[in-house]
Amino acid sequence: MTNTMSLRTMAKMKSVSPSARTWRRFFKGPIGWVSVATVVGIVLLGVFGPLFVTYPGSYGSAPPLAPPSVEYWFGTDSLGRSVFDQVVWGTRTSLIVVLAAGTVATLLGAVIGIASAYSRHIDAFFAVIIDVMLALPVLPLMIVVTALLGSSLTTMVLVLGFFSWPEIARIIRSNALTIVHQPYVEGARAIGASPVRIMWKEVLPMVSPLLIVNALLTGSRAVIGEAGLSFLGLGDPNTWSWGKILYEAQRDAVMVVAWWQTLFPSLLILLLVLSATTIGVRYNDSRMQKFTGV
Amino acid sequence: MDQPTVLDVRNLSVDFETEIGIVNAVSDVSFSLKKGETLAIVGESGSGKTTTINAVLGLLTGNGRVTSGNILFQGKNLAGLPEKEYRKIRGAHLGLVPQDPMSNLNPVLTIGDQVGEALLVHDRATKANVADKVVSILEMAGLGSSSTRLKQYPHQFSGGMRQRVLIGIGLACNPEVLIADEPTSALDVTVQKQILDHLATLTTERGTAMILITHDLGLAAERSEKIIVMRNGRIVEQGQSAEILNNPQHEYTKRLVSAAPSIASTRYDTRSPQVGKARPTEHTKILTVERLEKTYQVRDSNTRRKRRFHAVNDVSFEIEQGKTLAIVGESGSGKSTIARLILRLEEPDSGTISFRGRNMATIRGRELKELRSHMQPVFQDPYSSLNPMASIGELIEEPLKVHGIGNKQTRKRTAVDLLGQVSLDESLYDRFISELSGGQRQRIAIARGLALEPELMICDEPVSALDVIVQAQILELLKRLQSERKLSYLFISHDLAVVRMVAHEVLVMQQGTVIERAHAAQLFENPQEEYTKKLLASIPGREILAG
Repeated sequence: MTNTMSLRTMAKMKSVSPSARTWRRFFKGPIGWVSVATVVGIVLLGVFGPLFVTYPGSYGSAPPLAPPSVEYWFGTDSLGRSVFDQVVWGTRTSLIVVLAAGTVATLLGAVIGIASAYSRHIDAFFAVIIDVMLALPVLPLMIVVTALLGSSLTTMVLVLGFFSWPEIARIIRSNALTIVHQPYVEGARAIGASPVRIMWKEVLPMVSPLLIVNALLTGSRAVIGEAGLSFLGLGDPNTWSWGKILYEAQRDAVMVVAWWQTLFPSLLILLLVLSATTIGVRYNDSRMQKFTGV
Repeated sequence: MDQPTVLDVRNLSVDFETEIGIVNAVSDVSFSLKKGETLAIVGESGSGKTTTINAVLGLLTGNGRVTSGNILFQGKNLAGLPEKEYRKIRGAHLGLVPQDPMSNLNPVLTIGDQVGEALLVHDRATKANVADKVVSILEMAGLGSSSTRLKQYPHQFSGGMRQRVLIGIGLACNPEVLIADEPTSALDVTVQKQILDHLATLTTERGTAMILITHDLGLAAERSEKIIVMRNGRIVEQGQSAEILNNPQHEYTKRLVSAAPSIASTRYDTRSPQVGKARPTEHTKILTVERLEKTYQVRDSNTRRKRRFHAVNDVSFEIEQGKTLAIVGESGSGKSTIARLILRLEEPDSGTISFRGRNMATIRGRELKELRSHMQPVFQDPYSSLNPMASIGELIEEPLKVHGIGNKQTRKRTAVDLLGQVSLDESLYDRFISELSGGQRQRIAIARGLALEPELMICDEPVSALDVIVQAQILELLKRLQSERKLSYLFISHDLAVVRMVAHEVLVMQQGTVIERAHAAQLFENPQEEYTKKLLASIPGREILAG
């Protein structure tokens, strides 16, 4: 048999680095490619799109409520503005919100999660806070807080970030708990490493894959959160975002008539959430960090 | 005398389909087993011994399959038998005693249910009489007051008792062949001896043929008539036990025989006292431990009441420079706790640990960090004791970085130099430990321990996770480093045979207290305490070698 190899050659084969193996598995089959391409496409649209598209101002020159055509790809709204332009500019805003909120949530979640796993005192304090925050109805609270603080991009980022970290913290904590009891962490203590160094150098790298996955999942939730808040009119009134397009459609009571005004932003929300989640899940499945044996 | 053959395996080959292609795990394995015979399959991890028996039992995982060969059980070929047919044979005619008693019983079912299941699925009992039959099986397996045990759960049983339950399950349907896959490697030596004695009695009584899978050649020789030595999925040698042990033909078997600690250590009998005499008697005590105590609060599993559990009870000892003190004991004897207390991974309740003129038990902060640099640990499991996300260079340099010694270049030079000292290639510097074998990983752990040039190394079961040949190499390395660097070791092990090879002085512990303390040669030649004698008698392969 030509493709049979002995255990010895297998041992040699295994010297592919773990990350190379993960990515090879990730890109095996179309799902990996398609989801990454989608996210990259949306990001490119958000970064470079506004360079080519004029900002949709307060009044448009096009006929109002025109269905999609060669001239206006995504149709126009009731004020005669191109929905395509709105979507392009909205992509930028939505991405900024999602990235910033995701970063806030991931940082808070990672720091609190790892520290809770490492120190019992910190854990005792944050366990209560995390439980309470997870038990609270998030959406009504976000609405109240945003309404009180006044709607702006910064508020949106902070509100989304602040209400998303407990889930990350809880997952990272439970993952880190199994790691802080590994002999190698004790070994680091025995050579005199400080707690901060242990958390940073020994624990964080081991939880980072899970952190990446959860950052992606939190990011996708933030997309929906942003759209939800903007749809309710709590977004920044001065910038376009996907949620704002939907909000305007709803405000002008054209949701039933002008399907294009809701379909395209919703489609982008769906695509981004779906592919970010797929990337997260697939990445998690592709890497199999094992402690023992083959 | 000539018994009929019950199991005849001919030219068995097993392939696994993996991501990187087809891997041949077992090739061309042939052996036969007669009624009432015991056959041992010996080999290091990855040698294909477990895969072989899984193939025989039809328990290969989804990606594995028998590519050629026959498995003739009582004249019937089992290779390629449909699962439905196999189920009738497995358990009823081919019994299995699995390796780890801790994970092979379902924690949420009672013992009675689990033993009864084996009988019920093969219609060897009815719902009405299953309880009675289970009681008699448990009694046969050596568990007294079996009727009350029926309603108990696995967590109420010790490791040895659980293994007895598993033996009961394996033998429940009176199989013609019993396959025992490392049945005692997770157990203490004294328990191991009891279990194996019992297993031998049972199989002899019933005329059951047994296949014993083990990594311990001494144990195999003691317990079986025939031995198969496997390596890389092939049989390298097979024959009568005594023949293999005394007159190994194959190069690998020779190495295996000479490395087996239970066998190798007898050779050190004569040597170690001489070594002791040859050295000038120096009395530089490097570590002095006095009246060390540690208790834990535990909840009694039966009464649910809190009580204090004495893990370490009034332990005192000292270690001289350049010498090895070994602490021996069974699991739960407190030996690892002592290591953890000395490393200050746990706080002692009372007692002093004098190291470099300071009391390690009470200092903290900067002082503790400084003292820790003179005392380095090597842990048991080289798979979990090294950070899998760090490169080998980073691992070895980490202690230097933590203590702020040297700069980038000097640290790298030290690391490369240390790789050489533990006989590893310096090209490993940028690689990751996931690419290394257990023995190589343990070398990395030792190199890392040496980075700060400590005076004392605390080795907690440093070789018990390794295969025998690798074990011998690591012990050899530790000895070489000791003589080169005048290192002192605190060597913790459950394996007396290993201790015999390295220790100058031995501390025998039981339930947190020191039972006996003596020079190594003296302890092994002339043990004073009953418990020590029992431990020594439990080393497998002893009688064979004495004779």
